[in-house]
Amino acid sequence: MLKIENLHATVAGKAILKGLSLEVNAGEIHAIMGPNGAGKSTLGYVLGGREGYEVTGGSVAFDGKDLLDMAADERAAAGLFLGFQYPVEIPGVSNVQFLRTALNAQRRARGEAEMSAGDFLRLARAQGDSLGVSMDMMKRNVNVGFSGGEKKRNEMVQMGIIAPRLAVLDETDSGLDIDALRVVAEGINRIMRAPDKAVLLITHYQRLLDLVVPDFVHVLADGRIVRSGGPELAHELEREGYVGVAA
Amino acid sequence: MVLDLPSNRDESWRWSDLSALAGIAAREPAGAAPERLPWIDCALEGPRLLFVDGALVAERSRLGPVGIGDVSLDAEDHALGRLAGRRGWTLKLGSGHAPSGLIQIVHATTGAADHLAARIELDVDAQASVVETFIGDGWANRLTGITLFRGARLMLARRIVTASGFVSLLDRAMIGEGASLVSTTLAAGGADSRLDGRLILAGEGAYAEAGGALLARGRQRHDANLVVRHEQPSGTSRQVWRSVADDRAICSVAARVEVARGAQKTDGEQSLKGLLLSRTAQVNAKPELEIFADDVKCAHGATVGELDRDALFYMASRGVPRAWAQALLTRAFVADSVDRIGEEAVREAFGSDAEHWMAAKEPFVPSEVEGRL
Repeated sequence: MLKIENLHATVAGKAILKGLSLEVNAGEIHAIMGPNGAGKSTLGYVLGGREGYEVTGGSVAFDGKDLLDMAADERAAAGLFLGFQYPVEIPGVSNVQFLRTALNAQRRARGEAEMSAGDFLRLARAQGDSLGVSMDMMKRNVNVGFSGGEKKRNEMVQMGIIAPRLAVLDETDSGLDIDALRVVAEGINRIMRAPDKAVLLITHYQRLLDLVVPDFVHVLADGRIVRSGGPELAHELEREGYVGVAA
Repeated sequence: MVLDLPSNRDESWRWSDLSALAGIAAREPAGAAPERLPWIDCALEGPRLLFVDGALVAERSRLGPVGIGDVSLDAEDHALGRLAGRRGWTLKLGSGHAPSGLIQIVHATTGAADHLAARIELDVDAQASVVETFIGDGWANRLTGITLFRGARLMLARRIVTASGFVSLLDRAMIGEGASLVSTTLAAGGADSRLDGRLILAGEGAYAEAGGALLARGRQRHDANLVVRHEQPSGTSRQVWRSVADDRAICSVAARVEVARGAQKTDGEQSLKGLLLSRTAQVNAKPELEIFADDVKCAHGATVGELDRDALFYMASRGVPRAWAQALLTRAFVADSVDRIGEEAVREAFGSDAEHWMAAKEPFVPSEVEGRL
C-alpha cells in the first residue's frame, strides 16, 4: 500500500530524512520508534504534504501512485490520514462544519455522492459516542478549549468519520493519561484493524504498542531506518534504550 | 456639477481614493431597478422602501411610519455630507413607540450618482430596527442624522453589495441617557466605500456600537473613519471592525474614542483586525484614544495578519481543498463583527452576503462551506 524508497527531505535547508525506506502492506500495523530529533515527525509531515518540508530525493508510492506529486488535500482524498501530535485549534469553525466539509470534499474528489446533513450527523454521533466525545463537543470550534486528551480523542473521531485506508499517527499517545490512552487505542484498533487498511504509528514510547500491537517495529535514527523487527523489538528498546539498539 | 473633494493630504482622507466620483457624477442613470430586490425575509413584515437613484418608488414601497420630505441636517463641514442635500426619509417615533418588524430600505443606483439624506429620531424608550441595502452601479451618497432620546434603542445595519462604483455613508448620532445605538456595516460588493461616523454619547449610561466587516479584492478600496465621543459618565462603546483584503485591494479603518472631561466610568473598546489574503493587499488600522477623564476603561487592539498556515495544513490534511479552507477561515474571521447583529434574519442575510463574496472567487465552494449545520 505504501512504499517509501530512499527518501531524503530537508526542513529549512537542514537534512532530516537521509535515505529512509519502508514498505507497508494492507492489513499491517507498523510502528516507527526513535529518539527525539530522529526525523519521526518530519516523516509524518512529508507524507502529509506539509509546506516547508522539502523532498530532495527518493520516492513515495501510495497504492502505486506518486504520493509526493499530490497536494495535501489530494492525499487525504486518496485515503491517507495524518493524526497530529498537536492538533490545531481553529476558532470560528465548528467541528461538525469542518468535518462535513472535509468528508464531502473527499467524496467529491473521488467522484462519490456527498453525504446529507442528517446522515453526517448520525455518523458523527456514532463515532463521537464510541470515543467519549459528546455532540456538544462536536458542535464546538475545532479543538478550541479542548484538553490535550480531548484533542487526541477528537483526532480519532475524525479518523472514524473519514475512514481512511492508511493512517499515519504522529505521537498520538503523547499527553494522554492511561484511561484516555486506552480509549484512543481502542479507537485505532476498531477503525483501522482491517485487511484493507494499514497504520503507521509514530511513537516515542512503547506503552501505546501494548494496546495497539504492531506487526512490525522500526527504529528510526538520524533520518534512516536502522533496525526492523517484530513487536518484541519495542520491548527491547524500552529495556535497553535507543542508544544500544540503534548503534 | 463641480465636485469639491478633499485630497489625500488631508489626514482624515489619506487612505481614500475619490478620483472616480467626478466621472460617475457626470453620467446619466439608466433608471430601472431590478425586478428582484434583496429584501430580507423575516417573521414580522415591516415597512419597505425602495429608492432608485435616490428617488422613492412609491408603488414598490410600504412606508409605515417613515416619512418622505425635507430633512433638517447640517453637514456643511463634511465634503461628502454637504452633497447629500436636504431631501430624504425620516423616521420619527414617539415616546415608547416600537413598530413591529424590520424597516427595510433598498437603495438601487443605476449608473450615475445619487444623494439622499435621512433623519432618525426616537423619543423616550422608542425602538426601531433599520436595514439598508445598497445595490447596482454608480455612486450612492448618504447622510443620516440620528437622535436617540432617553432609553431609545436603534439597530442600524447596512450592507453594501453594490456591484461597482462607490458608496459613501455619513452618520451623525446623538445618543441620550441610557439609549443605545448598534450600527453594523458590511461591505461585500464590488464598489469602493467611504464610511464616516460621528457618534456622541450625550447622556449618562449611553451605549454605542459601531462595527462591521470590509471585504475587498481587485483594486477595491474601503475606508472607514469613525469617532465615538463620550460626553457623559458611564457610557459604553464598542468598535469591532474586520477587514479582509485580497489582490491589490486596500481596507482602512481609523477609529477614534474621545472621552470628555467628566465622562467618568467610560467603558470603551476597539478591536480592529485585518486579514491579508495576498501579499500585495493592504490593511490599514488606526486606533486612537483621546481621554480627558481619569476613571475610564478603554481597551484597544489592532492586528493585521494572514490566514493561519497551521490551520490551512490541518484542514488540507483532512481533505479540504485550499480555496474551501480559505473561505471557512475567512468567514470565521469576519464572524466577530457580523455575528453581533441581534436580529437573526438580518444576521443570516449578512453572513450569507459575506459567504457569497468569498464564493465569488471560488465558485465551486459547496454549500456546506457556506452554511452552518
